[in-house]
Amino acid sequence: MTNDWKAAWQPLVDAVGQDFSGGPQAPGADEVSAAAIRRYLEPLEFDCALHYDAQAARAQGHADIIAPSTAIQTFSLPPMWQPGQTIFTHAERDAQPAHSALSGLKTPLEPETSAYLVTDYEVEYLCAVTVGDRLRRHGAKLLACVPKETKVGRGAFLTWESEIRNQHDAVVARMRTTWLRYNPHGATP
Amino acid sequence: MTPAENIPHAVQRCWEDVQEGEPLPTLHFPLTVYRLVMAAGANRDFNAIHHNSAYAQASGAPEMYANNFFLQGMWERSVREYIGLAGVIRKLSGFRMKVFNTVGDTVVVKGQVLRKWRENGQGHVEFEIRSENAQGVSVGPGRIVATLPWRAGAGVTPA
Repeated sequence: MTNDWKAAWQPLVDAVGQDFSGGPQAPGADEVSAAAIRRYLEPLEFDCALHYDAQAARAQGHADIIAPSTAIQTFSLPPMWQPGQTIFTHAERDAQPAHSALSGLKTPLEPETSAYLVTDYEVEYLCAVTVGDRLRRHGAKLLACVPKETKVGRGAFLTWESEIRNQHDAVVARMRTTWLRYNPHGATP
Repeated sequence: MTPAENIPHAVQRCWEDVQEGEPLPTLHFPLTVYRLVMAAGANRDFNAIHHNSAYAQASGAPEMYANNFFLQGMWERSVREYIGLAGVIRKLSGFRMKVFNTVGDTVVVKGQVLRKWRENGQGHVEFEIRSENAQGVSVGPGRIVATLPWRAGAGVTPA
């Protein structure tokens, strides 16, 4: 009985190796822009001319200002809201939007969880991302599913492999991301 | 900002200049609510665990905490300040977030040159890098691989 929560993850454990992307994924919300790059730099106080000075970027062989390497996930996120959608449906202080582009891929094989966080990340950068590029994720292969109880709750570590491609379908990066999907201790699943 | 203010990159370091064991710039990132909200807006990770204390605590965290895009950016800034404008970041690995980087704490990014080598006509450098906070090492230690230009006249053609 005490391990029922682990058994609930077994269908996903059995699906390790499968690609769940189901075809092309939605592109990033916007083209990469100098304005969005500038905002990315602000909280980091990241003073690198490649990211705000086109002349400096061209001097290094780039066509224009380039995005920080670590910004590729930001620029591949689909929009938080789209015309016709209503995502803010409740007025409670901590109510969450009805839909979020951030919550990652959830499969029908996994048990319901109420919380998630990213624990591990690795990436190979294959080409620079330049102002005007439009990124999208490609592929979602499940590499691992490890049920585990941690100090924050019960759930599973899920490792996914995917690519980020640009508007020319060139692979910009290959990455592996491990998520912990869980139900916090004391929470009702 | 103007290029003249871009002091960290005023002099381009070349691959030949790199010394194994050399430290990366140590960077401090005080985590205020203001900054975490700016980071969420800038990198679009609006998960409420990163800007809402009550929500973060309900998820099992002690407080709202820095998101992974923001933490990655800290590592990139540290490496970029070492490799200069002509350096290219190729790979990041071992980015394991093992302790929450919560509001009110300061993330300190530290690193060093682990090794350097030539491969496919390029000068590679591998850095070991980590984030620390009041709890100790909070992210990593991980690795970043970058390539740096050769010194002019070195007679090697970059790939």
